[in-house]
Amino acid sequence: MNETILIDESGKRTDGRSIDELREIKLTIGVLKKANGSAFIEFGKNKIIVAVYGPREVHPKHMAQPDKCVLRCRYHMSPFSTDTRKNPAPSRREIEISKVIREALEPAVVLEDYPRAAIDIFVEVLQADGGSRCAGITAASVALADAGINMRDLVAACAAGKINNKIALDINDVEDKEGSADMPVAYLPNLEQITLLQLDGILNKSQFTECLEKALQGCKMVYEIQRKALMEKYFGNDLSLDDENTEEIKE
Amino acid sequence: MSLSRKSPIILEYLRKRQMLDLLTTGKRLDGRNLDELRKLEIDFDVIKKADGSAQVKLGNSEVIAGIKVETGEPFEGLEHKGALIVTAEVLPTASPFIEPGPPDEDTIELARVVDRGIRESEMVDLEKLVLIHGKIVYTIFVDCSIINADGNLFDATSYAVISALTSCKLPIFEIQDDVVINTGNKKDPPITTLPVSITAIKIGDTILLDPTSEEESCMEARITITTNSNGEYTAIQKGSTGSFTLDQIKYVADIARNKGEQIREKIKELMKS
Amino acid sequence: MLEIKKKYVIPGDVIVEGNYKPLMNVIKKENSIISTRIGIAESSKDGIRVIPLSGIYIPRINDIVIGKIIDNSSLSWEVDINSCFSAHLPAQDVFGRDFSPARDDMKKRFAPGDLLTARIIAFDRTRDPMLSIQERDLGKILHGEFLKISSTRVPRLIGKRGSMIQTIEQATQTKILIGQNGILVVSGQNHEGMNLAFQAIKMVEDEAHTSNLTQKVKDLLNVQDESPQKEGDNTTVGKEGYINNNENNSETNDIETNNNTSEITISKGESS
Repeated sequence: MNETILIDESGKRTDGRSIDELREIKLTIGVLKKANGSAFIEFGKNKIIVAVYGPREVHPKHMAQPDKCVLRCRYHMSPFSTDTRKNPAPSRREIEISKVIREALEPAVVLEDYPRAAIDIFVEVLQADGGSRCAGITAASVALADAGINMRDLVAACAAGKINNKIALDINDVEDKEGSADMPVAYLPNLEQITLLQLDGILNKSQFTECLEKALQGCKMVYEIQRKALMEKYFGNDLSLDDENTEEIKE
Repeated sequence: MSLSRKSPIILEYLRKRQMLDLLTTGKRLDGRNLDELRKLEIDFDVIKKADGSAQVKLGNSEVIAGIKVETGEPFEGLEHKGALIVTAEVLPTASPFIEPGPPDEDTIELARVVDRGIRESEMVDLEKLVLIHGKIVYTIFVDCSIINADGNLFDATSYAVISALTSCKLPIFEIQDDVVINTGNKKDPPITTLPVSITAIKIGDTILLDPTSEEESCMEARITITTNSNGEYTAIQKGSTGSFTLDQIKYVADIARNKGEQIREKIKELMKS
Repeated sequence: MLEIKKKYVIPGDVIVEGNYKPLMNVIKKENSIISTRIGIAESSKDGIRVIPLSGIYIPRINDIVIGKIIDNSSLSWEVDINSCFSAHLPAQDVFGRDFSPARDDMKKRFAPGDLLTARIIAFDRTRDPMLSIQERDLGKILHGEFLKISSTRVPRLIGKRGSMIQTIEQATQTKILIGQNGILVVSGQNHEGMNLAFQAIKMVEDEAHTSNLTQKVKDLLNVQDESPQKEGDNTTVGKEGYINNNENNSETNDIETNNNTSEITISKGESS
């Protein structure tokens, strides 16, 4: 097979990363004033904005569930986000990704706390690179936290894959197209639960385990970035609780 | 927009209790063990008008896959390959909960996951199906109709697709004076491997294979893992609103290789007879 | 039971391990108490809770809220209370028991856009919140300027036994109506005072979690440091309702809600 060279002799990938390195991630929280929660993520060349509205009333009303909240999710790519213009109507791919993103986030949200209400998550890909569903999940999870919705854990997502027969972390666009496997994973880092797992491509038994474990490592790295962004947004540099806030309650 | 919904099937409380009690003893409502698959039956070439077809019964779940071969333009970026398109429709005949109309997200996911399993394994050597590079290629449509739905439609549909593909005959097209001619002759498709999917669900902390629709109505999470003839993994899809631990996934991944090989042998055997 | 040092948390953070009781915005998983919100985790003799720093208002029985009339049916008004549930004010509550849709003109009492203070008298998982204005000082609001803050900041704005809000009101010569749903109505004698009050409220909203907030607000308002404690005196409707309801409603609500810790815990120590 004449596979494109994606890792050079010194172990560097096409964008200069090593096989264990994430692309640069920039995560900004609270970017939309009208939304209850929001986040903007730059994950490599991905630029994705996420808005969370709710909990709010469900329309039409018969969609409401009496014992828990309805979680709704739309993943959408802007027409200008790709090399050739994308038809703005939702594609089958987008419908499937909307579903897997919702299912990746739903285990983290305490839906029972908001009966009869709905939480809407809008993931808009403004510029697409490889791994947009993982970047979308990562941003959506902090947007949910920003909206003050009860969550059991954050959800961190990252892919690993196989390029030039090596397992590499965080597959980008070129590597996704030219490489031989891509495995996106979402993870609840504190509860140690996998909430998204997909695979396109061929992996043997040992590569499968290596790839899954590498993706989980990536999720943990992404989680640290989520955590830092939330802490900075909410607590700024004031990370030491002084008397006013730390005084214990005497009994 | 994707939204959380309840399972349309509401299992009677007593039956659910019975199922959960049985699961703790490693048994299921239909008497199977946790890792036991339902009986698989395949009839080949059931639709004579199609270039290939198969009717698969996995327990009570029943799927017909039919193949139509045409010529057309290749996909963008894949000018050196023939085109393979897998679709699926859950017919209103399949259960009282299906209404006719455009496919919902579950059906779209089903079709895309089955398609991915076939495509990513490179089951059909599509590079051998090019008439004029970049212009005219074979286009193979595999359309699946689910006529009876009793759980695990992912595997039933996937088995129908691979059965239809391996048993189909491609019409031989030729280019004469820039026009595509159907010579009237037929040839075997260039099959390289048999990708077999295995689906497991999680109820509580119990993993069970090849779920019925009753079992699916109680599931927290689902996972479908496809392996090829070399025992390599070619596609995975986790579904539903629960989660798995790493150990659970490794367990299903191992079992998917073993059970996948059994199904592969079974399909080959049924094809010969 | 050990006391836990307060700390900043995000969803998923394990606050403490051991046999503690989960109170608010936390879940118990095996032996761990885990935060479900961004906020400040703290312990009390009853257990562990997180005081959240974001989130919408979730109604609770007995809360005093400020709402906006949106619409009416022939028997009740629909009221926007800045939550995921719109509330209902029955016409009987306003007109009395002999209310007759044929005789009484509901539009004359409340029209869409009107603001009112009301108490939530019923709310559970199955019904939208029900309001009542059958108390002194509840009802239509006729004067003042409207302001919205996050409902998570309301306890901080009120302060320990009303200390914060009294400081602001006295220094700016204003009256501030506070709904627990984060809606405020400010009225005052002059523009300067009103502006100063807005600035102080904004400061509380932006810096609710920071240390030494009372002093910062006092500096902004140019207040000499003397204790403004006159308990129960000079309180506005919303505030009074707030203080009252803290004493008796902690068990009345079956829905795990947005934080409504008492001001005693959230603004601990600031006026000591």
